[in-house]
Amino acid sequence: MAAVMPRVQVPSSVSKGEVFQIKALISHRMETGLRRDYEGNIIPRDIINKFVCRYNGVDVFTVDLHEAVSANPYFEFYLRATENGQLEFVWYEDGGKLYSLAHQLVVD
Amino acid sequence: MFGKSAAPKYTRRALLSAGAAGLATATLGPPANATDERPRVGEEADDAVEVIKRLTGKTPVASDRLRLVMPRTFPNGYTVPLGIEIESPMTESDHVRYIRVVAPRNPLIEVATFHFVPQRSMPRVSTRMRLAEPQFVLAVAELNDGTLLMAKAWVDVATNGCA
Repeated sequence: MAAVMPRVQVPSSVSKGEVFQIKALISHRMETGLRRDYEGNIIPRDIINKFVCRYNGVDVFTVDLHEAVSANPYFEFYLRATENGQLEFVWYEDGGKLYSLAHQLVVD
Repeated sequence: MFGKSAAPKYTRRALLSAGAAGLATATLGPPANATDERPRVGEEADDAVEVIKRLTGKTPVASDRLRLVMPRTFPNGYTVPLGIEIESPMTESDHVRYIRVVAPRNPLIEVATFHFVPQRSMPRVSTRMRLAEPQFVLAVAELNDGTLLMAKAWVDVATNGCA
């Protein structure tokens, strides 16, 4: 399996109170558990089942993902800029593994 | 092979047959449409309400306020784009708790649930999903007072994105 790589796109600076867009993507095949290999064995499910965006430690946007989310799950969502601080993005994979990224947000 | 997840798996068949079983005992014999899987005129709408009712335990209200934007036709079922948006002031006293997306004719009907936080995030999101066959995709938004709003979008896909 190709390396799992998370990426996010956040504006370089935002003004206080402004609503801003975030794009988050993780390269992941999102194996549904419905497919079979050439020998007829079911390929076990292996998906990202949860995505969390934290803003200075507070969960501000969360997604529960199921099998029907496309491979390389991509989300575009909108937050309100309240204060300077850290945005943390965490993707949870089946089996307990997680991938994360952090971003310093500058609020004018 | 869903042993890894403790969450229950909802298939359309399991959801609807649970309700049909109750009916069948009262009417005796199999339901008339037992072998006919095609939706009839008017049935698709009731079906949507029924699916949401069984999934959430609440009756959704069709609403123009909740917008589910999807292409009417799409060449493949692997990466169908969807955008969801609902007007909301997102204050403590008036906000959207979550938006849940369901594809009733997929082998596993649940797609994703997006949770929002008042003052912090807006109920607006875009992503990409898989569709097994042409169908109505459903979105339901739960407001802080417990109201469930529903929107749906018909999407025609040429290939099965779940195989």
